[in-house]
Amino acid sequence: MNLQVIGCSHHLSSVAIREQLAFTEQQIKPFLNSYYSKFPDSEAVLLSTCNRTEFYTVADKPSSVPGKSELIEFIAEERGLVATDINSEIFIHQDRQAIEHLFSVASSLDSMVVGEAQILAQVKQAYQLAVETDQTPALIHRVFQSAIRVARRVSNETEIHANRVSVPSVAIGVLAKQIFERLDNKKILILGAGEMAEETLRYVIHEGGKDFTIVNRSLENAKELAAKFNGRVGDWNVLEQELASADLVISATGATEAVVNSDQFDRVEEMRKQKPIFILDLAVPRDFEQSISDRSNVYLYTLDDLQKECERNRQSRQSHYPKAQKIIIHEADQFFDEIQRRSSGSTIAQLKRQADDAKQLELDRLMNRLEGVSEKQKSEIEQSFNRLVNKILHPPLKSLQTESPQVSGGLLEALKKLFQLGD
Amino acid sequence: MDWLQNISITCFAASYAVVFILEISRVFFDVSFRKYVRVGFAAAGLFAHTVFLILQGKLVLGSTGIWLGSWFGWCLAAAWILAFAYIWISIRQPKSVIGLFLIPLLLGLIGVGVGFGHENQFNPMRAKSVWNMVHGSALLLGTAIVALGFVFGIVYVVQSRRLKHKTPQSKNFRLPSLEWLQKSSEYSLIISTVLLAIGLVSGIAINWINQSEGAVSSGGVIAWSNPVIWSSGILFSWLLLVSVFNFCYQPARQGRKVAYLVIASFLFLVLELAIVWWAGHATTYLKPSVAKRPAIHSVFVEWPAIHSVFVEWPSESRGIKI
Repeated sequence: MNLQVIGCSHHLSSVAIREQLAFTEQQIKPFLNSYYSKFPDSEAVLLSTCNRTEFYTVADKPSSVPGKSELIEFIAEERGLVATDINSEIFIHQDRQAIEHLFSVASSLDSMVVGEAQILAQVKQAYQLAVETDQTPALIHRVFQSAIRVARRVSNETEIHANRVSVPSVAIGVLAKQIFERLDNKKILILGAGEMAEETLRYVIHEGGKDFTIVNRSLENAKELAAKFNGRVGDWNVLEQELASADLVISATGATEAVVNSDQFDRVEEMRKQKPIFILDLAVPRDFEQSISDRSNVYLYTLDDLQKECERNRQSRQSHYPKAQKIIIHEADQFFDEIQRRSSGSTIAQLKRQADDAKQLELDRLMNRLEGVSEKQKSEIEQSFNRLVNKILHPPLKSLQTESPQVSGGLLEALKKLFQLGD
Repeated sequence: MDWLQNISITCFAASYAVVFILEISRVFFDVSFRKYVRVGFAAAGLFAHTVFLILQGKLVLGSTGIWLGSWFGWCLAAAWILAFAYIWISIRQPKSVIGLFLIPLLLGLIGVGVGFGHENQFNPMRAKSVWNMVHGSALLLGTAIVALGFVFGIVYVVQSRRLKHKTPQSKNFRLPSLEWLQKSSEYSLIISTVLLAIGLVSGIAINWINQSEGAVSSGGVIAWSNPVIWSSGILFSWLLLVSVFNFCYQPARQGRKVAYLVIASFLFLVLELAIVWWAGHATTYLKPSVAKRPAIHSVFVEWPAIHSVFVEWPSESRGIKI
């Protein structure tokens, strides 16, 4: 098997290059079809995410896989770029390196945020698109099914995915769960209608939140966000009443000074009758005055508090990196052992068939020359020929099976050349 | 089934001690199969505990209900309820280390029962009265539930304090959500108030019946001034006040206030039990001449023969305190 991966990622390439080389889901199939029209004897998968674009090509014969410059030319042409402009930002890995890279990518060890869960779904989607484009991708099946299995193993055997690392996921998935048993019966108030508010809202909905109100100075933006998530739009002018009835407040406005000060909150607290409230102040500068958190039933977390938690979780994930990498190295070894076994199996079968054909030819010729030979004698002669062939083939085949994959790989090549066997 | 007879307090106390050690170990390191071992030990302990209570702990299902024999049996029965609650919580909140707070209380109850309970045998005549059974059972359940509420209250305070100080939650020291703890505290407060009210009302009924039948207390008069009676009244009044306060005044059922109320209720209860114990309430007072009778004394210790005592016990030898 000849596998290679060519592409760019956040490790090496600038955002500008990554953007130019990124593919949408709709663009992938035409790209693959175009590739197959040029290189019909290989199989290919294109993985394109916001942090990477990677093009995997695989073929049985080395000559069937295009070289780096050919691929760069092809990709540049497809994207309407000049090859020399992207050449320095493109990496290439082959065979062992390529499989280790794919296993690392699928297991999220190569991601910007180690342990993020989306990458495996993206790898699966890329594999699915490749299978839909090429109906018989035998090698792709083998490579990508192994990658998916390895990613699951890493996920099961390490805690690399265990802790959340993004601010909204920590805020809702970790902290809110320590205060509330469930979110579906809670009143959730969102102050602001920007990106952070929207991202946090996604997590709220994912965790079961249903009853949410969006309050924003610009009513249009609030309406837009509310329509997107089927929420209610609140009135900024009666913010205190909205705060009084909320269980969870997510604040991410772009205000330049605090939106809720201590005096305002005194009035809110009076209306709340000391009911606990969880406030996530994700705005910079802060939307809630710091002194509000001194009240006994107020749990106020700022962006700084959450980022500290995220950093701790990131470090925790990093601590599982060596164990995950060990699994990947072990799995890559096994993958190549398996490839070697399959490859030697076909060579052995070819060699046996060749020897058998020669034996049968000589046996037939001998039988035609001999006269008055009984059936019993014929059988004796045939068995003798069989034994002879087996004795000749036994030592090389035994060496092939017992030697390490590295040595047997060389032997296999030697056998192919010595006995003039095909690939 | 002879082996069941060999089950001793050590069997289940040791099981609960192992559970406690496993709970402590959760704070320091993570092992995936430990939860099964932990719940397994707790279940084994509960089984041994049940068998012990039935065969040796003076707990029987008589014609009028459950009879516990002595304060020893009463403490073990209360501990049994806490052990059952522990298993229930372990299933409902498998990741939380609430057992760290609950198991010491459970072991403490067993310790108190073993250390002091044998001395105070309940008056066996009480086993014949439905009112006595209702009285004892309601107080037992109420006490166990107040103790549970105490645990929820303590855990609430710990969790709330941690969240207020923004101390990160350790992977190995997880506690239930504040909402769950608050609701559990509230329920325990309401249920225990109802049970203790039943206990108190049935106690009044016992007094009233005894008075109408001409039974006398130690002083020859129904002891309304008895410390047990007035302290029970104070405890009940407290719980009733707390429940009404909790029901009518919204801030009282918010956040830490509920936790503080259940903690205070538990402390009241401990005080009440100490008074009850000290006053020898519901136990048999034996005159020196009666106490010397070895056959009768042994009956209290060896429960299976207790029914014969009901038949044979000479009425003039009853020295009963109410």
